[in-house]
Amino acid sequence: MPLLKIDGKEIEIKSGTTVLQAAEANGIEIPYYCYHPALEIVGSCRMCLVQVEGMPKLQVSCNTFVGDVPPERKVDGKYDMVVDTQNDLVVQERKNILEFLLLNHPLDCPVCDQAGECYLQDYSFKFGNAHSRFDEAKRVRPNEYLGSQIVINHNRCILCSRCVRFTQEISGTSELFVEARGYNSKIAALEDKPLDNLLAGNVADICPVGALLSTDYIHKNRIWNLKEQPSVCQDCSVGCNVDVFSQRDQILRLTPRENHDVNGYFMCDIGRYGFHRFEEIERVTQPMVRNGESFDALNWDKAIEKTADLIKKSNGKTAGIVSPFHTNESNFLLGLMMNGVLGSLPPITKKEITYQSGFRISADRSPNRRGMNNICGEIVADLPSEIKAQAIHGLYILDDGVDRESDDVWKEILAKMDFVVVQTYAMTALARSANIILPGLAPFEREGTITNDRDRVQWLRSSLPKKGESRADWEILMMVMKALDKEEQTFADVGQVIKVMGEKFPAYKGLSFFRLGPHGMSLNGKASG
Amino acid sequence: MKSNGKLKQRFTFSDPERVEQIFSQYSDKKSATLPLLHLAQSQEGYISNSVIENIADLVDCHSAVVMDCVSFYTMLYTKPQGRHIIQVCQTLSCSLNGADALVDHVTDKYEIKPGETMANDRFTLMKVECLGSCGTAPVVQINKEYHEGLSTQKFDKLLESFE
Repeated sequence: MPLLKIDGKEIEIKSGTTVLQAAEANGIEIPYYCYHPALEIVGSCRMCLVQVEGMPKLQVSCNTFVGDVPPERKVDGKYDMVVDTQNDLVVQERKNILEFLLLNHPLDCPVCDQAGECYLQDYSFKFGNAHSRFDEAKRVRPNEYLGSQIVINHNRCILCSRCVRFTQEISGTSELFVEARGYNSKIAALEDKPLDNLLAGNVADICPVGALLSTDYIHKNRIWNLKEQPSVCQDCSVGCNVDVFSQRDQILRLTPRENHDVNGYFMCDIGRYGFHRFEEIERVTQPMVRNGESFDALNWDKAIEKTADLIKKSNGKTAGIVSPFHTNESNFLLGLMMNGVLGSLPPITKKEITYQSGFRISADRSPNRRGMNNICGEIVADLPSEIKAQAIHGLYILDDGVDRESDDVWKEILAKMDFVVVQTYAMTALARSANIILPGLAPFEREGTITNDRDRVQWLRSSLPKKGESRADWEILMMVMKALDKEEQTFADVGQVIKVMGEKFPAYKGLSFFRLGPHGMSLNGKASG
Repeated sequence: MKSNGKLKQRFTFSDPERVEQIFSQYSDKKSATLPLLHLAQSQEGYISNSVIENIADLVDCHSAVVMDCVSFYTMLYTKPQGRHIIQVCQTLSCSLNGADALVDHVTDKYEIKPGETMANDRFTLMKVECLGSCGTAPVVQINKEYHEGLSTQKFDKLLESFE
């Protein structure tokens, strides 16, 4: 293994590692713009210049590889490379490079959406000059739409070409290119082929400055006002790791969170903009009971009592409908409560999409089908005939919360029921047909575990406060169970539900939020960092 | 690149053998991009959208990648040009020896500014950087020929010989 000396520190590293990677892994900061671990190296921004002993000019550390050299060429008889990232020359060079990058920059941080997470800001503050010597008029170009969701501010762009490489290497759609050259060059898209693929939103994330902006978030808020909460995307069964940025009870944006076992560095636009769905739905925030064509509000005690009464009266002839949109814990508790027939609503599937880089959007647009199947033992495939065979006349439904037309099979099922209890957060068509509605939590309010289609259990964290009188879904189920005298156990929190779940289902044994951590865990026992 | 709204015929190379020969010179298909662009320009006079799409298909890449290349080089034209292209050198020696007067002469006589083409497509006027013939400044390149040591009178006579 090559021995690298960097800023006086001796490091043994794998042959073929770049100086930048070695430095990063050992806590030495080298600033950079164009380098991105998921993209090809171009070495165009020149920000990561370092001094390598024996080389006359400064070298770009992102594209300088450390390898074994023959003994007679080793420095001081033992080092394969000696690098200095802090000396006067490097420090001065960084200042110069930043001055160049900022030549035409409008310095409009007060109105720029990137402010607060901008590498031009950070590095200027850390490594740059306080003043520019450029007296000439700055080059000014109007903003342009590259696609329906992405707008570019050319004046802020430093032409690092991350976005161009992203469309070439990750999405494979190649919409973006660098037009013209030198002083005239700019990022552009062909007029008849705008940047409108389902991964387009990522270019705004990987842009190290405020040039590429998502029209969805532009001028909405300042980044430091937002609460950042790690969570998991719930719009397909891949389960991309995300950061949810919210203020009070409103989500403002989602960004992908790095997880090499799931989504790498990216996420798709279906998930990215999916949260708007919850702004449009009619929320249910109050327990309700049917009164003719409309609903009357109830308090929780009455609602639970009524629900338990109905289930008791049905004499075991109530079926539970679990949901692939709900957490493992909610599905588990419903299974525990019903102890009989379990079914689920028809699945929502669309086309599966796989990109050049392997990034995947699953056909199954529910986040937790694998977990639901693991946890619920047997889910009957042919619910109508099972209902007939067992003379089921009541349903307790964990609603998906997705508004869809019920098909004829379901219309028939619902028509046959004496009573239907729907636990939901949204006034869906299904909820409208219920006798009792129990208000649960919406996807970004829930906490629990979900299992993706590759058997990875992930920690779903609540990012928003609950609304109105709604309660956590596991809590509602626990209250109903208590009223049914089914289970004497009281769960203080969802963590205890996970514990009991692990006792019944060995694959989930020993799980806890603490063990799952930010990156989740594989059910095959393979933990990862 | 703006399309002019007219539905144009899809571009194809008129000399497929030459295309084959160009490809045979390179181990990598993409390397043939530039020679193919030159070939297309000599056939069409400029690089149209249709040319870009055709070449992108031939070299197996996206049209944006070909456009990236086209826009980089100033000698590849994305707009139709006149029958004769006048390129007046603007660099130091030529400038000192009256290149501006040559440009002004064309502008006055034929009513085209640098970058423009005459309505009858006779001339396109361009200002270009050093043509590498400083000793005989001012230099004007018309199509592929150099014309050196020009005065306004000589230049005027020269232009008359191009139809």
